[in-house]
Amino acid sequence: MKKPVLILLFMFFGLTLFAQADADAILGVWETGSGKARVKIDKSGDKYVGRIVWLREPKDENGNPKVDKNNPDAELRAKPLLGYSMLKGFEFIGSKKWDNGTIYDPENGSTYSCTITMTDDNTLDVRGYIGVSLFGRTDVWKRVIIKKS
Amino acid sequence: MINLTERLLVFLFVGLITFTAWAQEPEPDEEEEDFSMYADAELADGAKRFCTNKVLDQSPNKLISIGYDFQGAHDMTIGAWGSIPSTTVRVNQVSGIRINGNVPVISKTNMLLNVGYSYWEANYTMAQSSDNPLVNTLDTRGLRTAGILATFFKPLNEKQFFLIQAQADLNGDYFLPDFQPLTYLKYSGAAVYGWKKHDRLFYGFGMSRTYRIGEVNYVPIMLYNYTFPSRKWGIESALPVRAQLRRNFNPRTLAFFGYELEGQSYRISNIEGINGVKDPELRRSELRIRLTFERSLKDFIWISAQAGLRYNWNFNVDEGDFFRGFFGEQPYLLENSLTNAMYFNVSINLVSP
Repeated sequence: MKKPVLILLFMFFGLTLFAQADADAILGVWETGSGKARVKIDKSGDKYVGRIVWLREPKDENGNPKVDKNNPDAELRAKPLLGYSMLKGFEFIGSKKWDNGTIYDPENGSTYSCTITMTDDNTLDVRGYIGVSLFGRTDVWKRVIIKKS
Repeated sequence: MINLTERLLVFLFVGLITFTAWAQEPEPDEEEEDFSMYADAELADGAKRFCTNKVLDQSPNKLISIGYDFQGAHDMTIGAWGSIPSTTVRVNQVSGIRINGNVPVISKTNMLLNVGYSYWEANYTMAQSSDNPLVNTLDTRGLRTAGILATFFKPLNEKQFFLIQAQADLNGDYFLPDFQPLTYLKYSGAAVYGWKKHDRLFYGFGMSRTYRIGEVNYVPIMLYNYTFPSRKWGIESALPVRAQLRRNFNPRTLAFFGYELEGQSYRISNIEGINGVKDPELRRSELRIRLTFERSLKDFIWISAQAGLRYNWNFNVDEGDFFRGFFGEQPYLLENSLTNAMYFNVSINLVSP
């Protein structure tokens, strides 16, 4: 009686931990395809989110820290871009894919549906699209290693 | 009856599930993090960075565009040929729909392939009927263009890129769905090598095979896209085909002033009365000097309104499609001319992310 219960429990925990490791593989700091920004992907509850943690040009033309001036919501236009949540609501759906999230483009203030696929341990295909995936664009993000000072 | 060991296992199971849920990382605090630590970093596994094909604040790529083009009244003079005398007719309008699509098929940082299509109509409305066979076929059939386009952008590194474009069009006085034979396809294309010096400057040089002057020609091409440091103004150009000054009021409202040379060679298969002529080709080319206003109506749906002067560049007819070049002396079958006209173009567009 004891042996089957133990085996089932070990199998359950093993699979759970394995799936969790796959899902959390996306965690870390990533550089966008243009190299203009780095985004840190964290976990919030059971969702994955990403914040801008570095900008190649952090200041605007007046020397002030860049803010989200293109946001369609006027109340958010004074919010600093550094620390801005640009990835929201991603869920791990298996096969190295995170879906059902959105990506925000501060360059034009638009929010797109988004799917993220991990093509290798250090590469993400981030596809923003409108309605259906065909009408979209894929940006390839690379993992960055933070140098410890 | 559950024994002690099984009870212990169930307790551990419930406890672990609870702990796992409790141990979920809390929502990141946007205020507390020290962002300076992310400045000193390097790409994992030594990956390369690549330049993109756009400069900051450039006008968005149109995935789907459905528009209407209208040219106002002007005079059309058709040259004499054989026993058919020269004639001048009044054209009340030239109008038609313009549908374009341009979808990224491969969209990676190190490679971009867009495939597009186009369908344009030019329907002529004459003020009076005419015996001239070319005027008749334009009046009753109009001109159509249906084409496919592929654009391949290959960045080599952060600064340099290749761009190759290929296009095939079927142009003529046909009606849909009865296309002309594919032997009348017109092929054009361009190959460019360029540099992206920084986020606001992108330029390149290359060669093109083009029908923009109405007949096939081979011309050097220069791409130049630039956004001024103020980010309120910019230049978008592919010389000598088009150039425009851009004004960015905000990311969702743009205006342009500039020109574009539009042209194609149209196979006219319904000129009755010009006996003995094989494959007459109408070399149609026009320079459009225009003001354009583009604005996002809602999210990714943009409207574009354009108005300006249509300046006639070429409206002659050749027998067959051949290369004349800038210095060729082959005579035209018909030497025609158009007076200039005002025009407008409006379109609804789905723009790319």
